[in-house]
Amino acid sequence: MKLAIDGVSKQYAKNLWGLRDLRLELGPGVVGLLGPNGAGKSTLMRIIATVTRATEGRVLWNDHDIARSPDTLRAVLGYLPQDFGVYPHLTAIEFLEYMAAVKGLDARSARQRIDELLAVVNLAEARDRSLGGFSGGMKQRVGIAQALLNDPEVLIVDEPTAGLDPEERARFRNLLSELSGERIVIFSTHIVSDIEAIATDIAILSGGRLLAHGAPEDLLRAVEGKVWELVIPSAEMSAAKQQFLISTSVRRTDGVHVRIVAAENPGAGAVPATPTLEDAYLHCISNQRTSAAQ
Amino acid sequence: MSKTNDRIRILYHLARADFLERVRRYSFVLTMGISIYLGYAATTGQLEMRVGDSRGVFNSAWIGGLMALVCSTFLSLAGFYVVKNTIERDRLTRVGEILASTPMSKTLYVMGKVLSNFLVLAAMVVILAISGIIMQVWHAEAPRVDLWKLLGPFLLIVLPAMALVAAVAVLFETIPGLRGGFGNVLYFFVWSVALATPIIASENNRSSLFDWAGLSVIWSSIGSAAKLPANQFSFSLSIGNQAHAGSTFQWNGVQWTPELIFARLSWIAVALALALLAALLFDRFDPSKERSQRAISTPADSPVELAENLPPRTSVHAPPLTQLANRQSHFRFGAILLAELRLMLKGQKWWYAVAAGFIVACAATPSASGRGMLLACAWFWPVLIWSKMGVRETRDQTSQLIFSAPHPIARQLPAVWLAGVGLALLTGSGFGGRLLFTGNWRGLLAWLIGALFIPTLALTLGVWSGSSKLFEIVYTLLWYVGPMHATLQLDFMGSAPGIESTRVPAFYLACAAAMAAIAILGRKRQLQT
Repeated sequence: MKLAIDGVSKQYAKNLWGLRDLRLELGPGVVGLLGPNGAGKSTLMRIIATVTRATEGRVLWNDHDIARSPDTLRAVLGYLPQDFGVYPHLTAIEFLEYMAAVKGLDARSARQRIDELLAVVNLAEARDRSLGGFSGGMKQRVGIAQALLNDPEVLIVDEPTAGLDPEERARFRNLLSELSGERIVIFSTHIVSDIEAIATDIAILSGGRLLAHGAPEDLLRAVEGKVWELVIPSAEMSAAKQQFLISTSVRRTDGVHVRIVAAENPGAGAVPATPTLEDAYLHCISNQRTSAAQ
Repeated sequence: MSKTNDRIRILYHLARADFLERVRRYSFVLTMGISIYLGYAATTGQLEMRVGDSRGVFNSAWIGGLMALVCSTFLSLAGFYVVKNTIERDRLTRVGEILASTPMSKTLYVMGKVLSNFLVLAAMVVILAISGIIMQVWHAEAPRVDLWKLLGPFLLIVLPAMALVAAVAVLFETIPGLRGGFGNVLYFFVWSVALATPIIASENNRSSLFDWAGLSVIWSSIGSAAKLPANQFSFSLSIGNQAHAGSTFQWNGVQWTPELIFARLSWIAVALALALLAALLFDRFDPSKERSQRAISTPADSPVELAENLPPRTSVHAPPLTQLANRQSHFRFGAILLAELRLMLKGQKWWYAVAAGFIVACAATPSASGRGMLLACAWFWPVLIWSKMGVRETRDQTSQLIFSAPHPIARQLPAVWLAGVGLALLTGSGFGGRLLFTGNWRGLLAWLIGALFIPTLALTLGVWSGSSKLFEIVYTLLWYVGPMHATLQLDFMGSAPGIESTRVPAFYLACAAAMAAIAILGRKRQLQT
């Protein structure tokens, strides 16, 4: 089971590239795609999901070029796009039956799978209600269920936790964690905490380019000794923002407690802190912006 | 004073933003293309206006009158469909919800939309006015260009008519039942009747009272210039006519009396009144007021209610999922077909009863021509269902889900098409059954071709246009001119008696095959963006 992204680029207009020469090799596990808005995450996911074609490069699924034979991947693919719709006049179960037929599931497996999935996404009680009356979070859960219908070997989920309440977010993260063993899960988000616990691999994208790819531990190692905690007076906060890369700030009675990502000790009173994935992500993005500005 | 200024500023920005959003779309380029074609057709003599067997000399007055009639008749139909999407776009893009949260009044919003519609229509009119000037220079029968005589009819005949069309389009968008496909189809009939009313009323000398398009203003003036007795007076406007008029006469244009100018400008007041009515009916993007929403979600279905009905969640751990025994995809065409049929027919309440009525009436009517007419009605009834073929994936934003499933062209697309054909066979079964019963095999074949042609047309236009509107307009026009008027060459349904012994069915079979190929190409294009 191998998914290789080999020099993929996507051009939207003459001087507008969504992706530039992206190379990644993915095996079983959860790959967290991180990046700011417009980084190219959704473009990459659409290319892998065979919805969009790359302008340059290839995506190989078990050594088959998916642009030439998209159905080799589609047969084992589960895809939850960032923006998707549902048929408002169908009930949840009717919509999933429709999607099961389109995906080629046999009738018996489909029925059993739909029942299980509706329980998994907490919609068993709402199964016979029209989707037109569903809230945003409920529609998102229907989307998650349809992506899992064919027990996919490759599961692509683009911002899957958008619109979910905290409880459902945790539930979904646990579900992905349980599912990840024997399949490739590509999980895009800009909420670092969503993938912190479950990602076995993390890829950071910015400006259509791959900035970093590796295990979370590798990314954390890169900022080891570069994260500091410091208390500064409220009045100095504005100046500190100009000077340092601040990952978090919390106001307390004694001043503002800030976490700073910096190679050198940022000043008197600063104490080294244990880096988090969010610190590593900010460090990576900040480095790219600095080198782009130069 | 400052409040008035504020209102004018808001109105300007509303209309400007809407106008710019439209002119930057490909559909606007297409619209301009149609206008340029009409101008070209008029210039090269393919579009001709005649009185009896003669025509006027190509002077500024004649060309202005001709172009004004072209605008009033063709643009009042095509233009309506071009502009009838301005509120819908705000609804779909959700910009409407943002606008609704601002202090802007409903009247101001609706007026802005009417103004924007009017500007789009006026842009089309400007193209035809420029064509008029070119036309006069081209023909060089009367070299002196009199701008008032050429442009006067545009200002006083066309623009008030366009203002009316702009307001009617917005009115249709504010009435829930007329917002969608039903409104598109209904407008065609409203337009036909409204255009014919002045002609009927002219017998009582009351034509100007109903003459919103200004037709009678032109023809009564031309009639006097042609000096024809009333019983010999005939007037025609035709496209593609190769036989040119036998003689010419001089017409120096409409004598614009204050009464006539007042009568024409009063249509702008009617347009404003319709716009105010639209403002009154406008729901300000309140989803709870949408009829379709009410139909879908009864109070018990509301999201809040649903959330309360759900069992309390005690765990963030989902129940385990059983691994699928066989992950291999199976080709179950029957299942996809059934699913597509269900999708197609879901939510139709009284539809079945009327369809059943047509089936029974078709089977029971003894007269062949009566049966043909009933088949035409039976196959017009599902127009709003067929018009969603090939469009649903775009409209409901499910394209990414469907197109990432295995073999979307080989499996899902044929299923959609076959579901449409099945619907045609079912709704026309009264007619088909009768042919089968009487052993009229060639007639049955012609009917079957009709059942293939209609959904293929729907699917092709839907896939390529991404909207239901094009099929609704094209099919209504074809249906009205063809089967409803028993025009043999346009009888794609095979409903006219004796059609089976002509080559007409074979022509429509070839058309259906070509369109099917075009639909597949269109879907391939959608998959390869």
